[in-house]
Amino acid sequence: MRLLLVEDELEIQDFLRRSLEESGFQVDAASDGKTAERRAIEEHYDILIVDLGLPDQDGISLILRLRQLGVKAPVLILSARRSVDDRVRGLEQGGDDYLTKPFALAELLARLRNLLKRNSPAATEATRLTVLDLELDLLRREASRGGEILQLTPQEFVLLEYFCRNAGRVVTRSMILDKVWGMRIQPDTNVVDVHVYRLRGKVDGKGQQPLIRTMRGVGYVLKDR
Amino acid sequence: MSSRTGRSSMRSAAWRISLWATLAFACGTLLVFVFLHRFVADDIQRRSDAWLSGEVEVLGDVAERTPRNALYDRVVGEVAELAGKEVPNKVLGESSSNDSVFFLQTGTDGSLRLWVGAGDGAANLRAIKAGNIDPDRPADLHVFGFAVPFRVASIRIDDGSRIYLGLSERDELRVLRSFRDLFFFLWLLIVLLGFGIVFLTTRRVLSHIRRITEAASGIGHSDLNTRVPTSKRNDEIAHLALTLNRMLDRIESSMRQLHTITDSLAHDLRSPLTAIRGKLEMALSAESHVEQIEPIVSVIEELDRLTDFLNMSLDVAEAKADALRLTRTYIDLDELFRSMIDLYEPSMSEMGLQIRLQSAGPLDVDADAASIHRMVANIFDNELKHLPAGCTVEIQLRAEEGFAKLIVEDNGTGFDPAVSAHLFERRVKGRDSNGHGLGLAFIDAVARAHGGAVTATNRETGGAQIIVSLPLANSGALRNEREALPHSTDAQSD
Repeated sequence: MRLLLVEDELEIQDFLRRSLEESGFQVDAASDGKTAERRAIEEHYDILIVDLGLPDQDGISLILRLRQLGVKAPVLILSARRSVDDRVRGLEQGGDDYLTKPFALAELLARLRNLLKRNSPAATEATRLTVLDLELDLLRREASRGGEILQLTPQEFVLLEYFCRNAGRVVTRSMILDKVWGMRIQPDTNVVDVHVYRLRGKVDGKGQQPLIRTMRGVGYVLKDR
Repeated sequence: MSSRTGRSSMRSAAWRISLWATLAFACGTLLVFVFLHRFVADDIQRRSDAWLSGEVEVLGDVAERTPRNALYDRVVGEVAELAGKEVPNKVLGESSSNDSVFFLQTGTDGSLRLWVGAGDGAANLRAIKAGNIDPDRPADLHVFGFAVPFRVASIRIDDGSRIYLGLSERDELRVLRSFRDLFFFLWLLIVLLGFGIVFLTTRRVLSHIRRITEAASGIGHSDLNTRVPTSKRNDEIAHLALTLNRMLDRIESSMRQLHTITDSLAHDLRSPLTAIRGKLEMALSAESHVEQIEPIVSVIEELDRLTDFLNMSLDVAEAKADALRLTRTYIDLDELFRSMIDLYEPSMSEMGLQIRLQSAGPLDVDADAASIHRMVANIFDNELKHLPAGCTVEIQLRAEEGFAKLIVEDNGTGFDPAVSAHLFERRVKGRDSNGHGLGLAFIDAVARAHGGAVTATNRETGGAQIIVSLPLANSGALRNEREALPHSTDAQSD
């Protein structure tokens, strides 16, 4: 996976590059918009990380310019700003993602993987989702495991659907709050965990292989292997 | 819309101003007309007096020269009758029977000697005897049986008899009355016209002021881009608008400065925080011993709390300065609370808490979704952290006088009495609290930034009560407009 990291703070660039390389990305870094533009045109990247506060230009202008030049790779936007620009929201709707500084590395990696997968052609309009022996009927809003119907509340079904759509990838608590409840909040209580415990109690019955795993300090993953 | 304009124009100062102006104007013109009337009346009287004096002299002359014989009565009577036909101010088309003029001659003993006129003249003679007629100047004479007084001039002739010539004031009064009618009609016309002109002018001026007021009241809570309407004219109102706009320019620029400061503060602190957090995480991922992991994890947690505190205190600071940036969208609080409760209910029941919602259906506010989400999450987090097991949280949503009221009550221990007087101040927290003490200050700040308010009290029956009021979204049009926009839930980064 080739990744272009556009970040002017050298310390942040340095640790990001190292941890991304550790996670298996092939990282090129650029410290300003001009270099980033040249690299993005010369090379092919699978994904971009762009900081909004670049020394020579605004990160959003860079992204919009790259899109005009035909760069289609998804972008993870980093920002130390407090308010979210309307244009960022536009990019989010176009399939890019947004993360505020400071962030957990795990959160960054989870969002990167999610972006990469989301961008690959997949049967997103399917009416059924299947992960191992777990089956979701999206029309009848019914879930079953090993042929046995699970008694889920509507909200639990939405949560499980989100897990299934991201099967095999880590989803963080803030991603769950954002996508399942539509809220960008950071509760300092364990509200999301309780939901996941309850869902796990219903999905992973006695004697069955546990599907929902907790990644300590990061989030959760629904096993697909 | 038109009824609203009608009502507001009734309340407008234009009515008051035009009523007072018209009153002053009416009094002024009335005074002018009264003087004019008086002048005309005097003039008419002077003319008729001159005529009377002239005629009575001629008649006296005739009476003196006419020999006292059988023809005397006829000669003098005919001359008197002729004179009566040249009456001034006479209304045309009057019948030949002339009751507006009389001629009366008394003998030396004061008895009636010659009479020309309507009736037998006895009443006139009585009136003359009763009244005191000045021989030199014409005077008013009220005769029994006549509604209108006569103007009478008299002359004494050599044979000791006296001649009286009387002219009814009827025609004179009739002329004056028609003159008055015309005056009144003109006066009414002028006053009404004046009222109309004054009212329209003041209303135009005031409507400009009203537009300025409306525009100015719309500006404020974090919307400083708009300006009041200005006109090209160079009058006081245009100056008012220009001054207001210049003031808004200055406010906007200081607001922008505040934003620049808080933004760069946030940026300058977040970048090193990001680097520190990243490095700590890298240290974690390297093969380190368990005894090294624990302190690093706790430092990361501290760092996250510091970030959270930084964000919130900047928000609170901005909101206190009325400068919190809001991206307003239409929000249904009923729907929002249902999904919030849905999110928090499992955690609450794990803690042995109950949560109940009383709501009368959709409750629309025009607000910044992210701030409201964080505000509600803050309230719920507080309940979750501080309520002892077995307690109940009751939430009521209702519309009250243009405000959406969110009432959150519990039956726990309530606020620490030591801090309850300063609940909304920064850094105030109960002794047992391990939070950063910004929760209620943040709730208060968000409500204020939206033009609402918060009260937090301890209930008499025990437990805490927080009431948040937010202005209701005012029109259905707004709702439709907002719904047409793509739905977005995040307006403010954390």
